[in-house]
Amino acid sequence: MTTQRISIDPITRLEGHGKIDIFLTPKGDVAEAYLQVPELRGFERFCVGRLAEDMPNLTARICGVCPEAHHIASAKALDALFHVDPPPTAKKLREMFYCIFFATDHTTHFYALGGPDFILGPDAPPEQRNILGVIQKVGMDIAGRVLKMRRDGHNLIEMIGGRKVHPNWALPGGVSRGINEEQRKEIEALGRDAIEFAQFSLNLFHEQVLGNRAYLQLITSEAYTHRTYNMGTVDGNNHVNFYDGLIRVVGPDGREHAKYPARDYREYVAEHVEPWSYLKFPFLKKIGWKGFVDGEDSGLYKATPLSRLNAADGMATPLAQKEYERMYDALGGKPVHHTLATHWARLIELLYATERWVELATDPEITGTEYRVLPTATPDEGVGCVEAPRGTLTHHYWSDERGVMTRVNLIVGTTNNYAPINLSIKEAARALIRRGTAVSEGLLNRIEMAFRAYDPCLGCATHYLPGQMPLTVVLRAPDGRVLKTIGR
Amino acid sequence: MWLETHTDANVGCPALGTVGGQHLRTLVLGLGNPLLTDDAVGLHVVQRLAPALADRPDVEVAEDYWGGLRLMERLVGFDHAIIVDAQRTGASPGSISVFAADAGAARHVHSSHDVGLPMALEFGRHAGARLPAPGHILIVAIEGADVETFGTQCTPAVAAAVPRAAEQVLSLLTRWR
Repeated sequence: MTTQRISIDPITRLEGHGKIDIFLTPKGDVAEAYLQVPELRGFERFCVGRLAEDMPNLTARICGVCPEAHHIASAKALDALFHVDPPPTAKKLREMFYCIFFATDHTTHFYALGGPDFILGPDAPPEQRNILGVIQKVGMDIAGRVLKMRRDGHNLIEMIGGRKVHPNWALPGGVSRGINEEQRKEIEALGRDAIEFAQFSLNLFHEQVLGNRAYLQLITSEAYTHRTYNMGTVDGNNHVNFYDGLIRVVGPDGREHAKYPARDYREYVAEHVEPWSYLKFPFLKKIGWKGFVDGEDSGLYKATPLSRLNAADGMATPLAQKEYERMYDALGGKPVHHTLATHWARLIELLYATERWVELATDPEITGTEYRVLPTATPDEGVGCVEAPRGTLTHHYWSDERGVMTRVNLIVGTTNNYAPINLSIKEAARALIRRGTAVSEGLLNRIEMAFRAYDPCLGCATHYLPGQMPLTVVLRAPDGRVLKTIGR
Repeated sequence: MWLETHTDANVGCPALGTVGGQHLRTLVLGLGNPLLTDDAVGLHVVQRLAPALADRPDVEVAEDYWGGLRLMERLVGFDHAIIVDAQRTGASPGSISVFAADAGAARHVHSSHDVGLPMALEFGRHAGARLPAPGHILIVAIEGADVETFGTQCTPAVAAAVPRAAEQVLSLLTRWR
């Protein structure tokens, strides 16, 4: 028995060091596939004993990717912990800030991470299948547009949130400062540019992807289709909202399974533990854990851009609503279960985020001076929830009567999707690896595409310099023996 | 070894130091997550350096928390940059290496939410961003022992490397005086 090691260097777009184990049947077909991720140890313990009001700043440091999501979810958990309801101006400022963040984050994912597979093609060599390949294929001027969108987003986040990277702005009961008319005008003007950019991005997707029959076939192929439940936050009209609302879960057939305030999450979501992973697998409590399988009887749910669209009845802004209808028309109605359509949904959310940003920037209350209510009640327990770009994000805090943290529970965006990600990898591997298949780079990328659509955030220290390949695929015989290791 | 390679690359570069009597701007940037044990070592190094560099108007000392595109965007407008960060190569904890950002080793800077720094630099240059020239972005990398546990203190070997890394940065800066 020889073990062959193939090193594929140096491209990767997977966060942290992931490892995929693929177990084969005696005949050489795929039996199971597991994505293992490293655990970042001890954050919840690290928070115990700290002051509640430090949490929005501390939790923003969990992650170098979506600090704004943790910051806002944390502030909402503190609103609940201190029993205080922020004034309308504060809520609108938080939501506007959050939409700006969302638009910036989704832009990066599409152009740097998800887009290359489609614009260059899933079988393009890895050295081309990246953001440089995108600009070479579609035009150099895109580079400037992408950078402007990011720069505007980051500058506004700093203007509103006080700091470029980790905001120190949202507080229990509101925010630490408001905006003046001059700032509002700038936010509005850049928001209008952002709407144009989002429309441009959707047009690019339509031309490059939907104009290509092979891509449409790829998107709708069985390998990338899983009929699970879907979760997302909706407003009073059952439209998508990123900042606030009720959590809505719909079944594989699109019918409503549950709709509840975030504070009741533990009545609806439980967590399953597997011996081979540090991460837990959330599932719908009332349906139950049935393993890594889809369908109505399995409690697996997704919380992704596509899930949010599936869980809602529509978008709250006009341009995004048109694109929403266009997607469901093209893909055969609701709900859509094609994992790769998540990229399309992400662009529709990008458009919604920019429209909502301008809507809020032109709201008469946005420059109001009442942006904080001082908490006076005794703190005890609070849940805060937002839609993070990668899924529903929940912060749950307990404190003593002085506001010193005694317990913390977090369900981060990607965690919701951990079981479906495993399912997606397994199904893609099953469709692509059959007896006698030679596992190539192109095949590996097609398996990787199955989880790249989720934009997974598996580790949080994103920027240290690792010396080894972060993703390894191990093919194993039924007895666990290593048949082949593919590193990248 | 890396240092030598880099020094060679700079031989014959006439623009080091001043242009038209004006001091060029250099960014000394610590990278890391302040809550992830050794991942914060780059931040500790620049915190130590800040007082020593207070009298250098041509040098900005700062902290940041991102790689990839965002790191590239942070470098816009500077003539030189020194980035101090933790690394994991399997070397002994606390050991220090210096290399140019365009060099092969730095290609491994990764994230699923971003691209590597060399690719980000190339992308920025395509977009017309005014970035330090190739070879003028140096990375001082300190080998970490634990970058996955939440904590605000570095492990002993890594903490002991902080003064040495700071000296290394000061020594690199003399070439751009």
